[in-house]
Amino acid sequence: MKTRLNDTAQEVELVKIKGVKQGLLLTFSDISDFNKVEAEINSKLTSGFFMRGTHIFFKPGDLSHANEELLRKIFARYGLIFKVMPEVIEKTAPEIKADDTVETEYEDNKEEQERATQEETVKESDDITQMLVVNRTLRGGQEIKTKSSVLVCGNVNPGAQVIAGGSIDIRGKCYGMVHAGAYGNTEAFIIADKLHPTQIRIANLVARPPDDMEETEMAERASIKDGQIVIEPIDR
Amino acid sequence: MSGNKTRAEIIVITSGKGGVGKTTTTANIGVGLAMKDKKVALIDTDTGLRNLDLLLGLENRIMYDLVDVTEGRVPYKKALVPHKKFRNLFLLPTSQVKDKSSVNPEALMKLCDEMKSEFDYILIDCPAGIEQGFQTAIAGADCAIVVTMPEISAVRDADKIIGELGRADKDNIKLIVNRIRPQMVEQGDMLDMKDINDILSITCIGQVPDDEKVVTSTNRGEPVIMTEDSLAGRAYKNIVRRILGEDVEFMDLHKDTFLRRLKRAFGMN
Ligand SMILES: Nc1ncnc2c1ncn2[C@@H]1O[C@H](COP(=O)(O)OP(=O)(O)O)[C@@H](O)[C@H]1O
Ligand SMILES: [Mg+2]
Repeated sequence: MKTRLNDTAQEVELVKIKGVKQGLLLTFSDISDFNKVEAEINSKLTSGFFMRGTHIFFKPGDLSHANEELLRKIFARYGLIFKVMPEVIEKTAPEIKADDTVETEYEDNKEEQERATQEETVKESDDITQMLVVNRTLRGGQEIKTKSSVLVCGNVNPGAQVIAGGSIDIRGKCYGMVHAGAYGNTEAFIIADKLHPTQIRIANLVARPPDDMEETEMAERASIKDGQIVIEPIDR
Repeated sequence: MSGNKTRAEIIVITSGKGGVGKTTTTANIGVGLAMKDKKVALIDTDTGLRNLDLLLGLENRIMYDLVDVTEGRVPYKKALVPHKKFRNLFLLPTSQVKDKSSVNPEALMKLCDEMKSEFDYILIDCPAGIEQGFQTAIAGADCAIVVTMPEISAVRDADKIIGELGRADKDNIKLIVNRIRPQMVEQGDMLDMKDINDILSITCIGQVPDDEKVVTSTNRGEPVIMTEDSLAGRAYKNIVRRILGEDVEFMDLHKDTFLRRLKRAFGMN
């Protein structure tokens, strides 16, 4: 069918982040004004989400040498490793496509990576992805459970669950149940473009948004402050 | 995609929740495409709950059913029931037996493959839920239409179905919202399209009002799209045009009721 109706409009982002096996891949839709690109990357970084040590890749030929060096420095400030994407490993992160429950245990992850490394002859034994990237909307009945942090590029719908040992970043709307710091980390936090979860949990605290929650245009961040879950608007 | 006799487009009509209008939708789109001179086959896979034939007024013409075909007792051409009025519209009725596993995904896929060269469109009416029957119905489909109603439970179930379709690698999914009651939407008693899009975020190809003419036309065995000047009929006609690739604006159901209310207030309706 050729319908083009009501397609959810996506705002144009200059920089797209995609999960790949060994980390995250940056792609650029428009680098004509590199100041803007730089600003967008900076604002993504200040959201404080990216786990130190994560590898950030770009495709060979996407960047001039000067720009590459510029970005490398920016990422280094956040403890992130910026480098060219080896052709062979250009493959999306293990697609979460299991039954209703998706369990991504850290150990399994490592194993899987080792296997992948062997298959794809990339020698990067020190590569441990500390973030699970989910490149789709989680729909009702679907669940993500992992000891690492989670980046969801999509919505978390009512009836869906994300349970993470680390933090949860939802680049979309969150209506489902989200649990960050599920193994006790009280420093963990949850960010969403629209934070409207059925229930929000951080470590051993549980909160439910008030029934008459006001709408805000801004992204929101939930974290523990003074022994309570607080939600505050953030820029990103 | 249209008019090509060698490759039918196979569309499965699904929903999470039962009773939201899958069968009604299948019948109306089927008739609508036939009215546009397409050669159309409707396959009813809702085993045990046969009613697509009723909606089309074909109940008393059935000789064989889907299970007879998939089990090789008769060739599909022999089981197809031609429509009384539209000679390019055919129904492959479901079996009345209760055994829901009698048709498996492979068998239906094989059948669709066989039928593909004969038709422009094959529409598959799917049972509710996500059990075996659902897996069978979606197996051979190129694209899926998810039917829902503007209420929370139906939308949540639709969301689950969309997730299931994604898992089965069916990525071409369109939405039809059925039984909209504009007045209730206006009063905030029913979800509006924005609420629905917020959750489902898939392309909508139809917004069908709740219309009692759907019920009266069902009783006559003539899908409402055949009745002139019914709101639901118009909505289905628009859906058919969108399926055929036309860019059709959505009718403003709200304005319409407002107008009707106004007319009513002046004793014109
Ligand atoms: N737009 C509509 N307006 C009024 N009644 C409708 C409409 N769509 C469906 N119905 C009624 O709802 C009931 C269920 O519809 P049906 O198509 O059998 O649903 P399903 O196949 O999903 O179980 C039927 O009685 C039908 O006449
Ligand atoms: Mg039905």
